[in-house]
Amino acid sequence: MSKKLLPFILISLLTSCSTNNVIEDKVFCFDTTVISQLYEGSKENLSDIKDILLYYDKVSDNYYDREGITIRKIGSDPIKVEQQLYDLLKTSVDIKEKGAIYFNPLCGSLAKAWKASLADNKVLSEDVIASELTKINASSLVFEPDYILYKNGEAEIDLGGIVKGYALDKIQEYLKNHNIEKYLINAGFSSILLGKKNTNDGYFTVKISDLDNTFIKLKDCFISTSSKSVQGVKIGDITYSHIINPVDGSAINKNDAVIVVSSSGTLGDALSTSMMMNSVDEIKEIEKSQNVKTVVIKDKKVIYCNEGLNLFHG
Amino acid sequence: MDKKKLRNDIILVLSLLVIAVVSLVVVNVNANRTNLIASISVQNNVVEKVDLSRNEEKDFYIKGLKGEVHVHTKDGAIAIIESNCPHQDCVKMGYVKESNHPIICAYNAVYIVIDGQSNYDVEIG
Repeated sequence: MSKKLLPFILISLLTSCSTNNVIEDKVFCFDTTVISQLYEGSKENLSDIKDILLYYDKVSDNYYDREGITIRKIGSDPIKVEQQLYDLLKTSVDIKEKGAIYFNPLCGSLAKAWKASLADNKVLSEDVIASELTKINASSLVFEPDYILYKNGEAEIDLGGIVKGYALDKIQEYLKNHNIEKYLINAGFSSILLGKKNTNDGYFTVKISDLDNTFIKLKDCFISTSSKSVQGVKIGDITYSHIINPVDGSAINKNDAVIVVSSSGTLGDALSTSMMMNSVDEIKEIEKSQNVKTVVIKDKKVIYCNEGLNLFHG
Repeated sequence: MDKKKLRNDIILVLSLLVIAVVSLVVVNVNANRTNLIASISVQNNVVEKVDLSRNEEKDFYIKGLKGEVHVHTKDGAIAIIESNCPHQDCVKMGYVKESNHPIICAYNAVYIVIDGQSNYDVEIG
């Protein structure tokens, strides 16, 4: 018996002793830490994912100046840019048609002005807001064939609201092409790409930071959130947010946090930003048209949760 | 002869079980140890590792991209308590003691992650 059973016993013992086989990489990009965890695949796959992240980090950086890849060079003269930058900018403009009406990639200098003002605990003056809005409304990006584009007006481009989601879309594409299904890519707190977990049901447990001890189980989706809990600044009775309303120029959000579960990181990121300014009724309409699911939080309470999402307390 | 064979089989199975139990304990003890290790990185390079399980009160002055970041540990938690960054988002995060909850000072490219396990896989917010 010993000779026949020994290999099986040894194999089962070794298997039972092993921990979850996960390979992990942490990359500092998009002003945050992106943690990539693969439950299958190789270190080469992780390295490719890192390359995708660092590429889009540079592509979207207003201050990064390198031949071929730069947002700074986009002005009133038509220039040819890399296909990836062209596609990213085009997506950022087109996303408005998918319900993200409060997302505008051209409100970079308005967001910067608000951030500087709030750092001094001051509300941005009406004059500056009016002047910035005039700039935004008079500006546009014009896309021509062969990756040629130019910008009308003086508004500054800011892709911070969608670039993490966009990069996660590219990573999902890469993982699909390499038949990798079990993974978790966590781009800071706000944009997460979930594959399947290395368990029988494949679900990940996601903790919701804006709520006490509240969780949700998800797999095979993107989860994006916008929240003013960390970066919000209270002046008087009003909490001003880093998320700017590009329509009226204010830094006041209707909601404290919005979580969007979707099949696209770009869409999820843009909608979670934009929905900070939407009413619950408007959010329900967008959910239906864009096939996304949302949770809306105000005053540490859930004021709306899509019926397809089951929140639970741990 | 058969009795001797049976006895040897029993000894073999018992020995393997003992090895399995010991291995399991070692694996779990190591897992618990790594549970409370915080890594402090600057621009993707780990510059400090802190064992939070010791519950020690300690200060670390980390040279970030644009200035010094003051990191403090106490009661098994870690925080950035001083930074020259303009918006102070990292300082506002306060003390963290759970994994999956990094502290980030983007201005100085400093980030702190606690490695290990928790009762959830990832945090959104």
